[in-house]
Amino acid sequence: MKFLIAVGSKDYSGPTLELGMRVAKAFNAAVDIVYVGDKISAFSTSEVILAQENLANWELDRQGVDVLQWAYEYLVENEYIRMESSEFNTDKLVQTDDDRCEVHLEGRMTQEVGLILRNGEIIQQLRDEVKRSGIDVTIIGGSGERRMTHDLVQYIDSSIFVVKNYDRARNYKLLLAVNDAPNTKKALKYGVRVAEAFELDVNAITISNTEEFRSDYLEASNWADKFLRRAGVEHQVNLVHGKFINVMNETAKDDHIIVMGNSTKSPLTKFFTGSKPLNVCENCNCPALIVK
Amino acid sequence: MLGFSNQTIADLLYWVTRKKWLIAAFAISIFLFYIPSPESLSPEGHRTLIIVVIALILIIGEVIPLPAVAILILILEVVFGIDTPNGVATSFMSDAVFFIMGSLMMAVAIVSQGLDKRLALGIIKLTGNKTWRIVFGFVAISSILSSFIGEHTVAAMMLPVALTLIRNTSDDPKTVHRLSTILLFSIAYGCAMGSIGTPSGGGRNVIMIGYISEFGLGNISYLEWIKYAYPMLLLEIPIAAALLWMTFKPDQRILDSAVRKLKVKVTKAGKMTGNQMMAIGIFILVFLGWVFLSPYLGLGIVALIGVFLYLSFGLIEWHDINRNTNWGVILLFGAAISLGIQMKETGAAEWVATQSINGMSMVIDDLGFMQWFISVFLTGILTNFLSNAATVAVLGPVVLDMGGNPIILGISTSIASAFAYLTIVASPTCMIIHSSGLVKSSDYLKAGWKLFVISIFLLFLISNLYWPYLS
Repeated sequence: MKFLIAVGSKDYSGPTLELGMRVAKAFNAAVDIVYVGDKISAFSTSEVILAQENLANWELDRQGVDVLQWAYEYLVENEYIRMESSEFNTDKLVQTDDDRCEVHLEGRMTQEVGLILRNGEIIQQLRDEVKRSGIDVTIIGGSGERRMTHDLVQYIDSSIFVVKNYDRARNYKLLLAVNDAPNTKKALKYGVRVAEAFELDVNAITISNTEEFRSDYLEASNWADKFLRRAGVEHQVNLVHGKFINVMNETAKDDHIIVMGNSTKSPLTKFFTGSKPLNVCENCNCPALIVK
Repeated sequence: MLGFSNQTIADLLYWVTRKKWLIAAFAISIFLFYIPSPESLSPEGHRTLIIVVIALILIIGEVIPLPAVAILILILEVVFGIDTPNGVATSFMSDAVFFIMGSLMMAVAIVSQGLDKRLALGIIKLTGNKTWRIVFGFVAISSILSSFIGEHTVAAMMLPVALTLIRNTSDDPKTVHRLSTILLFSIAYGCAMGSIGTPSGGGRNVIMIGYISEFGLGNISYLEWIKYAYPMLLLEIPIAAALLWMTFKPDQRILDSAVRKLKVKVTKAGKMTGNQMMAIGIFILVFLGWVFLSPYLGLGIVALIGVFLYLSFGLIEWHDINRNTNWGVILLFGAAISLGIQMKETGAAEWVATQSINGMSMVIDDLGFMQWFISVFLTGILTNFLSNAATVAVLGPVVLDMGGNPIILGISTSIASAFAYLTIVASPTCMIIHSSGLVKSSDYLKAGWKLFVISIFLLFLISNLYWPYLS
């Protein structure tokens, strides 16, 4: 498996990097950590590259290298990589495209770890990186922008883990949203790996709009119960009726990590009417993993 | 749906959301194509204006690569029957395009010589360690240098000097935010202001000189341009420095330790090398060529002679020039100039000029002032969203068809296209300082709008009180 962790700044991306690396460790996955800098106008691309290359002659780093340096120090400090040096050697960054450079490091608790610097519109860059490297899960901090969350869930072709309001000191539980959608089974498998790694109790919740539960919902709930029991995970199974997003919000509060499958609606329907995973990412105040 | 997979539909939706400006350009062009031509506008002029609209939308939206926009302009000029393929090819390549190509290549050659360390030492010797003097020095040196060698060359050389001072002051960006902002804007605004000083300061100056000559409105030599534009540049230097100081007054009034560390760093570079001296020598030769030979050879050919010398003396490898030259921009400027010429020849430029003057006559009575105001204000606004050379290439023929003194209106337009103070995308220098990650997009407006207004006012005074004596 391969994870992509998008970091933005030293000040705000600490929780994203920390939770992302812990989850990657749970899956023993390879990890790429990417910083996406501002888009450079097409009129100025060569001029900016020329200026940035000139900075190297002065031993000055371009924008974003300080963030990769910070990520490198975090990886060294937490023994995620085999340390060649406590200092991040920027000379090892290899320019692979006009707007992308990378360095690969040998992982200790995960597979290989890559540090990547990109420039451009963030959704486009993440989409490109997911396609280029065959990413399974993209991990990113929660954004206040509704449009950004929508685009992440809609257009990034991997599972999405939105790390919103994560606090290491808080006692988390895992909230698994279970229904008859095909992605639920994959979500359960991911959920179990996360629960085992973080030693979390699991609440597998099935939500119906009406008081009466459809038979396929009940079957899904039973299957989840069996699956979690077989996996040996401490869990409870709940059937709750009400509006989906309200129930999720009330249950999750800020002390759950939500795991759910992606919607199977057509992309056109999702574009115009939204979807349950999109609502969860936008409205819930806790980390949420949308499994595709 | 129609047998498409969800992935295909999602990809299609993504494309549509990202290319909405392309779709808008297509829809608008079809609409404009089918509305009847206004009586006073020829069908060719009508179709030329459709291309202008499409090009502006695509350039501002940056939805397709710039070379693709350039190619589309050339294709449409032929397909719409505006000119023959040979006519389009002739209008595409001109001395102005040679100049832009030559100056972009020379920028790569000059920056790669490592002369910026000498420059840093020179600035520090002149300014000392007081921050206000360093700010003034940055504005003045950036302005004067960029008036001869092109603004982004100077910005690329000045950026490391500023960043070294900033990082030697503090590693915490919050502590030095105002210092970073004032030093970086001193470079960006200094370079923008300086680019008006001589024809070689910016490709747009050469484009305007080319239009004035091509349309039979007069000839402006290198030195004549300096007589018109340099006083404005010299007046703007202290104004811009004072304005930046008042807007971003930094906490650090003396940069004693940072200056000392900078001196130590640059003195390590040792004595000036033979290559560096040769690079300066070639540039002096090019400058003399621009002054004395350009009436016979053209500014573009002189710039290309410079590139030839840099390559022949082994001061730069072709590989480096090829990698760092923005070929897409060169193609686009060529296409934009071709479009400008078609605007003139089809009467589209005259039609837009007449309509603008008629529209504004309801607000302003004085025809002379109106012509000047439309030229300068429209150029000033458009240059902040479009490239300044593309702005002049498209607006130049319109301005020159407004009536009045074409030299005054032409040079005013070219100078106004340097008022690119308001946005990140306004010019490569604005983008270069933004790429440092130390200035926010909101910072551009803070000082930019004041400098924009003052520059327009100053240009008004100079073009009305000083330039008439030169004509």
